[in-house]
Amino acid sequence: MSLFAEVWDAVKAVAAGLETVHRRVKQPPATEFYPYKKPEIPPVSVQFLALIQNEDGTDRCVACLQCERVCPSQVITIERKRNPEGKGFVLERFDLDFANCMHCANCVEACPVSAIVTVGEFEHAVYDINFLKADKAFLDHIGHEAKIWYSPKFGVEMRTPEGKIVKAPPEMQPGGLAELLKEAEGGEGA
Amino acid sequence: MRNPTTIEPVPGRTDEMIINMGPQHPATHGVLKVVIGLDGERITRAVPHIGFLHRNHEKIEEARTYTQIISYTDRMDYVSGLQNELPFILAVEDLLGVEVPPRAKLIRTIFFELFRIASHLVWLGTGMLDLGAITPFLYTFRDREKILEITEKTAGARMLPNYFTFGGVRRDVHPDFFKDVAAFLDFFETRLPDYYALVLDSPVFQARAVGVGVLSKERAIARGASGPVIRASGVPYDVRKAEPYDAYPELEFEIPTREEGDVYARFWVRFREMEESVKIIRQALEKVPKTGPYKGKVPPRVKPKPGARYRAVEIARGHLGAYVVSDGSEYPARIKHRSPSFANLQLIPDLFVGARFADAIAILSSLDPVFGEVDR
Repeated sequence: MSLFAEVWDAVKAVAAGLETVHRRVKQPPATEFYPYKKPEIPPVSVQFLALIQNEDGTDRCVACLQCERVCPSQVITIERKRNPEGKGFVLERFDLDFANCMHCANCVEACPVSAIVTVGEFEHAVYDINFLKADKAFLDHIGHEAKIWYSPKFGVEMRTPEGKIVKAPPEMQPGGLAELLKEAEGGEGA
Repeated sequence: MRNPTTIEPVPGRTDEMIINMGPQHPATHGVLKVVIGLDGERITRAVPHIGFLHRNHEKIEEARTYTQIISYTDRMDYVSGLQNELPFILAVEDLLGVEVPPRAKLIRTIFFELFRIASHLVWLGTGMLDLGAITPFLYTFRDREKILEITEKTAGARMLPNYFTFGGVRRDVHPDFFKDVAAFLDFFETRLPDYYALVLDSPVFQARAVGVGVLSKERAIARGASGPVIRASGVPYDVRKAEPYDAYPELEFEIPTREEGDVYARFWVRFREMEESVKIIRQALEKVPKTGPYKGKVPPRVKPKPGARYRAVEIARGHLGAYVVSDGSEYPARIKHRSPSFANLQLIPDLFVGARFADAIAILSSLDPVFGEVDR
């Protein structure tokens, strides 16, 4: 009798499990058809880092060495020289070893001029580890290709099709909530 | 190697068979090796070997500045990454004397509890995979994905975000954050009954779990267990209540406790904890101001006063502590991490000896060790 009860319990348990699965079987799939359909990565996401140049093609970077100093895995190497015309420094070399980068974005946090930024690109996979050793030309290239990027100082910025750099609307900004709420209040008042 | 829990040979028993379980065993959740002595189906001795994932965290951190260390603490328990940052940050905040704005505390608490749910979902999925059930794994990882997406939108990474910082959080939350979290909680509450039906209430699972791997209150305390493991043995110890941090003093929640101390009790406690987390996040969402400061005033160069501080938090696996000794410079003199999985893993000889070999897997998955944190 007890064996029969146990078997009956097991049958009931399997039936209950199947019933639960059956209830959920019609839900839309949770998976994505990568690489045919690429997910949209928010610009704050730390994947590739890039160097941003101004609209006139000059470097934003002022070679202050802050990013090199805060990097925990010490993957950034900068060489600089005195600016021949005017004050400050200019970059001679900016190397970033993505193979050892731990994607903490401390460099992005530390940059005082929003030169090094996170972009929404994420496809890191390469066949040779040496391809991950980026120099300044490569980082500039990612920066030029990027349509949207983030740095704490200027927030999320976008490049228009004409090549102008503009600030993204507040609903894309971290901390854009205050602006949105103010707008909503203003809208009600007017 | 002699193990104190080795059973003395019994007259008339069969030859002992030695089996190496791991370090590549898929059910050991990482790189654990257990040398198991078997007498038929029964385990006569169990010697855990750890250290395959040792990365020298504490020594590396002595050569890093305080700001750099935060990104290393993430990598201890990578399943609940964000939770690991907090004990170190709390200790340094105490040394610095930094005031944390209440909004930052609440944001931290919301993320902390979201990661508790995410971590328990990984445990549930992989734990049931060990026991031979595949469906819960697919369901839990789908739900966890939603938490990771919310985290990525605000914190910038899915598992190791490096988001908490001294005096608050690194950046303000995404405008959709509070909406997304509320939507996730509504979604998750409809999913919890599925997990109850598939796992906890299922007689097939109960046959596997009830009365297996019983851990007495005394042994749990003696071995320094914490988290759901000790609460399933009837000790209502939770750091969130014992030494409250962040926004926990102003939030109301229960500590689920069970007396049995078997595998079923440990599963039950974690299930109830997910429900409590939902309750905590709902309260925090009501209390958190929509806008305001998210970071207190911290000097640009973090140089705490000379001194030492120990702070602990309750992560998904138990009592995680950080002991920070400062000599007044930019680099800490010494850091010690007290990790819960390491202490919980010491229970292996207690729980394995006398159990059946097939039950060892169930016991191990109910302890929920993560080896990034055991070996550090």
